[in-house]
Amino acid sequence: MEIDTETVKKIARLSRIKITNIESADIQTDLNRIVEFVKKLSEVDVNGIGEFNFGKTYLEDMRLDSVAVSDSTDDILKNTKNKNQDFFTVPKIVE
Amino acid sequence: MNKVKLTELGIKESRDLLNRKEISAEELTNAYIQNIKESSKLNAFIEKTFDKALMQASEADKIIGTDSQKSLCGIPLGIKDLFCCKNVKTQAASNILDSFIPPYESTVTDKLWNEQAVMLGKLNMDEFAMGSSNETSAYGPAINPWRMSNSDEPLTPGGSSGGSSAAVAANLCAGATGTDTGGSIRQPASFTGTVGLKPTYGRCSRWGIIAFASSFDQAGPITKNVTDSAIMLKAMSGFDPKDSTSAKMEVPDYEQHLEKDIRGLRIGLAREYSLKKGNPAAEQKWEQAISLLKNMGAEFVEVSLPHTEFALPTYYVLAPAEASSNLARYDGVRYGRRATLDTNDSILELYEKTRSEGFGIEVKRRILIGTYVLSSGYYDAYYKRAQKVRSLIKNDFDEVFNKVDLILTPTTPTPAFPLGSKGTQDPVEMYMNDIFTVPANLAGLPAISLPVGLDDFELPLGVQLIGNNWQEPLLLNAAFNLENALAFESKPKNWWADG
Repeated sequence: MEIDTETVKKIARLSRIKITNIESADIQTDLNRIVEFVKKLSEVDVNGIGEFNFGKTYLEDMRLDSVAVSDSTDDILKNTKNKNQDFFTVPKIVE
Repeated sequence: MNKVKLTELGIKESRDLLNRKEISAEELTNAYIQNIKESSKLNAFIEKTFDKALMQASEADKIIGTDSQKSLCGIPLGIKDLFCCKNVKTQAASNILDSFIPPYESTVTDKLWNEQAVMLGKLNMDEFAMGSSNETSAYGPAINPWRMSNSDEPLTPGGSSGGSSAAVAANLCAGATGTDTGGSIRQPASFTGTVGLKPTYGRCSRWGIIAFASSFDQAGPITKNVTDSAIMLKAMSGFDPKDSTSAKMEVPDYEQHLEKDIRGLRIGLAREYSLKKGNPAAEQKWEQAISLLKNMGAEFVEVSLPHTEFALPTYYVLAPAEASSNLARYDGVRYGRRATLDTNDSILELYEKTRSEGFGIEVKRRILIGTYVLSSGYYDAYYKRAQKVRSLIKNDFDEVFNKVDLILTPTTPTPAFPLGSKGTQDPVEMYMNDIFTVPANLAGLPAISLPVGLDDFELPLGVQLIGNNWQEPLLLNAAFNLENALAFESKPKNWWADG
């Protein structure tokens, strides 16, 4: 099995998802099934093949650098109870 | 006019009656509201906006017949919960977006309201559009209005746009929006006897649609027929300065491209796309679709898309990779759910606990696998390799479209299946559902699913037409011709409105 218990812990930490020891075994089994499934890609000869892109992009059509009406602070803050004046509040970060 | 019959009409027919003032938008809207109120068993609408709908309908009634009237004036629509709608609860059917009320409107829905459509509410879906059966929804699954002739067992309406497909099939709205990342419009359409169109990548703006896999996601309509699909697509399409991947191309009047004959149209049959054996009715309907198209003058060419078997593995590396990045924004800080913390918990615990409580298991799996394939030491073997295979899959299509105009395939290997019957032991079993739909997303191509008939258990079956980039006019016209020739008129028996 490619994904062991330690790998599950590592990617859960990277993903910022807390996984309990009870959940861990099932998740490990599922992830290994998915990895087994996608390993089929190793059968393909990709020598000399470029990575996919959509060709034309529209990034050259930049928007004008001009002031426009955007969302208001008040509207945005309506979606949280965790606020103080115009700021979101979080647990203390600096001692 | 009888209310039940009103809601059986499609967009075009309703538009014609509204224009002739034989019905009012308010009357039409009320008829749909009544149907929605009687449909709780289907669990299709998860947020209802009836006050808004009646206000919009009343406005529409004032406009109809004036110069200000636009293409969807007074037409009641349902909106997949993935589209942010200003001041309407939008959760992508996820607990992590608990009670989120967007302060902005997605470009696609904004366009629909500008065309004077009426909003009935938000439709159920798989959480963050990750699923093929609607079972990952935080609201519980939407239920397919169709049942097998010999059973009352609840069936999936497909996913992820399962609320949309169920609502259109059960006459709860005249049409609905969906989004399609790996088949999420076409597979639900196929399971419910409706028409589902995934446009070319870049045809519709993705701005304000909650992102799943940004290089695949595309909005599109689920409708009762092909003409309605053409009408809705026109209203939804167009360049948006807020989405740099939306195309700066004129939007054709798709409806004007219908009713052309298809003599000489070259249609490819790919040998890699075959139906699951053991469903003779499905095989017979498939053959019938081919022979009807032949009778109308289409020529069939056998083609090969040799990398098809690698499409699903490619998709299940790239889509989770993009999802793991897109869903990093749900951290409990600014909106949606925030976990209750212990006194000494740090910001890291805020993130980890919130995401652990807020995401369902399938979403967690995809974030974890996406993180894995992007992590140091595995990036080249998985992500980079999958991007190269995606190029090969696109090249296969490019070669085939040198020889043919369209490709005809089944939409799904099987008709709708019972809820709880797939993927409970092994998530990969559910992924196999998308085998015929995922390649078009990998290559960015437009594709439409339309119903071809019923199987031996009286469940709808769909076929898919895939076109080359920006060939929606050709695609819709071929689908329109096939639809006419098939004359599929079956409807699900109404069991859900009992009491």
